[in-house]
Amino acid sequence: MDLSKYAALFVTESREHLKACNSSLLEWEKEPAAVEPVDRLFRSIHTIKGMAATMGYTGLAQLAHRIENLLDGLRQSRLQADPSIFQLLFRAVDTLGKSVDAAAAGADELPDAPLLAELDSAAGTDAPAVAPAPVPATATPTRRVTDAPRFRPIQVGIRPGAVMKGARAALVLRRAERLGSVSAVRPPVAEFERDDFDGRFSFRLQTRSPEADIVTALRSVGEVDTLEILESAAPGSEVRPEAIRQIRVDLRRLDLLMKQVGELVVAKNRLGALASESRNPVLMEVSERIGRLVSAMQGEVIASRMTPVGDVFERFPRLVRDLSRDLGKQIRFDMEGEEIELDRSILDDIGEPLVHLIRNAADHGIEGPADRVAAGKSAEGRILISAARERNTVAIRVADDGRGIDREKILAKARQEGAAPETDALSDDLLIRVLARPGFSTARQVSGVSGRGVGVDVAMTRVRALGGTLEVRTELGKGTTFLIRVPLTLAIVRALLTEAGGERYAVPLAYVAETVEFDRASVTALRDREALVVRDRVIPTVHLRDLVASRSSSVSTRRPTVILELGERRTALVVDALVGQQDIVVEPFDAPRGLPPFVGGATILADGAPALILDAAALL
Amino acid sequence: MNHTVLVCDDAIFMRTMISDILSQAGFEVVGEAESGLQAVEKYRELKPDLVTMDIVMPDMGGIEAVREICKADPGAKILMCSAMGQQALVVEAIQAGAKDFVVKPFQPSRVLEAVQRVLA
Repeated sequence: MDLSKYAALFVTESREHLKACNSSLLEWEKEPAAVEPVDRLFRSIHTIKGMAATMGYTGLAQLAHRIENLLDGLRQSRLQADPSIFQLLFRAVDTLGKSVDAAAAGADELPDAPLLAELDSAAGTDAPAVAPAPVPATATPTRRVTDAPRFRPIQVGIRPGAVMKGARAALVLRRAERLGSVSAVRPPVAEFERDDFDGRFSFRLQTRSPEADIVTALRSVGEVDTLEILESAAPGSEVRPEAIRQIRVDLRRLDLLMKQVGELVVAKNRLGALASESRNPVLMEVSERIGRLVSAMQGEVIASRMTPVGDVFERFPRLVRDLSRDLGKQIRFDMEGEEIELDRSILDDIGEPLVHLIRNAADHGIEGPADRVAAGKSAEGRILISAARERNTVAIRVADDGRGIDREKILAKARQEGAAPETDALSDDLLIRVLARPGFSTARQVSGVSGRGVGVDVAMTRVRALGGTLEVRTELGKGTTFLIRVPLTLAIVRALLTEAGGERYAVPLAYVAETVEFDRASVTALRDREALVVRDRVIPTVHLRDLVASRSSSVSTRRPTVILELGERRTALVVDALVGQQDIVVEPFDAPRGLPPFVGGATILADGAPALILDAAALL
Repeated sequence: MNHTVLVCDDAIFMRTMISDILSQAGFEVVGEAESGLQAVEKYRELKPDLVTMDIVMPDMGGIEAVREICKADPGAKILMCSAMGQQALVVEAIQAGAKDFVVKPFQPSRVLEAVQRVLA
């Protein structure tokens, strides 16, 4: 049998098990007396062993087998798990990970003998190991733990006549979250807001609550028509909810599909423009129908790419654990909102900036235990990473309760480097700009962890490249929060088309709060800057025609104005005219040098003409 | 004892109407707020059993107010009052901690149903 075609699947699935190994180990280390993490760890290692043996990777299977031996001893409680054993297991799992990649690359070999010897001596089985017989993956021995949380696939239908079915569905999820942890929400929460959401959705709930309690809790939300709790699966088992059948798809396929749908959207827009010019009713009808179909298809493709941020968060507990060991600090690490979903391609790019921010928090933010106690805090510091959906963006916060950033020190350092803004006090906005300057670092020493000045600037560059923003809030002695905000999906963006100086510019709708009319009468000044009063709020203005240095002179006194909004900040962007809304496809874009910073990309409009996309965040 | 309510809406018309619906059903409206900022302050001061919250208000919108109130009191019982077409905002409010919502134009029976669910 030709096994090579299974190699990719073997690697993917093994990696999933390795991730599970790491999280089980972390959990177990926290609670050495717990049974369940050991069981899960054992099952994952066992599955890897079975798959490796089937693939003929004997070296890899051998290593898995030795780990399994040790775990078996620990499970039978013949052995005590002490810190040295945990350390050994972490190392072994790391090596196992490397061996999986090596084996798949055709370099299966028996891993280093010292590690095997250590595993054997820890397991008390110094006898020469016999190559394990290939074990069918199905013969997983499990000890059932009766009160362990179970995964329950749940299907819900909101009453057909109910208003705002999506919001009602969101309430059901909130209620479910109080009972346990919610995952695999289908359709993704992002689609609840669509007008055509029919109120039927499914999710997985990991909970200890009995079925009757789940029913009562979820029904109490009101307007729940149907509620079905499907057969439950044992914790950590591979059983996926029966109702949702899944297949694995190569991400490159989805990328290609996305690109083609993008081109289809451009063609659709073009067709729409031509059809309305022609005034041919039949052509217009066909064009509209195609428009609806393409929009639906676009929605499906985007949905198929949505992945929970938990996929990226998963590796952070291990990262923080290792960091706290290396730095000699006590750090508690918590995660929230792992179920929030993002486009896969954005998710892939967001991992690295987050790693930088977490390293920064652990290294510079959290103080050593002695300093913390002296400052009247608990010896254990805390880092919290949380994700939340905010309009068409996802906000990810990395918060620590450490020493905070000393603004005066930063200002002094910036002055030394001749990069200080002309101010006596750094606001949060100015602070992030200084911190994000390439190479800026105030760490007195370069530790192995961070301090080379590549933390915040790398994070900033990456996040900006995704069309996102990076903000900071900090309070001396209390802690620091970095906030990354990224769009839900990249390739296709709904935008407001505006015109200034005879050119058209696209503003992503995610940042548009509203449009108003610029009227000389309502102009005021805010700290020497022109500002506009909109419903009792003073908003600084930016004139697009000034930005693009337009020379044409015909300016009417009343002009349309787009109110841009990002978090708490607002800017009034004064334009010459509003053209309308359009789905635009963001073209891959290497910004030529000299391009103004407020340009975030380029696109081809419905009439085939190119237009620049404004980076709203840079205007705020 | 009657449940106490704080009614938050920037329109006097809406505040009056909601207050009437709730008072007639035996609730005690202990305060009104016309902005998110006021809502947060009054919540702190009055500690009502229930809050009705408009979404779009000046000086801090309803969603931000929900976030602030729930930060201080995770058990706060907040009912969002929304107009048609604001589904995305309602979902955001729910994620911020709101417990239920009603959609304008209000039918008294609908409002009371939602209130009962929130207080249950």
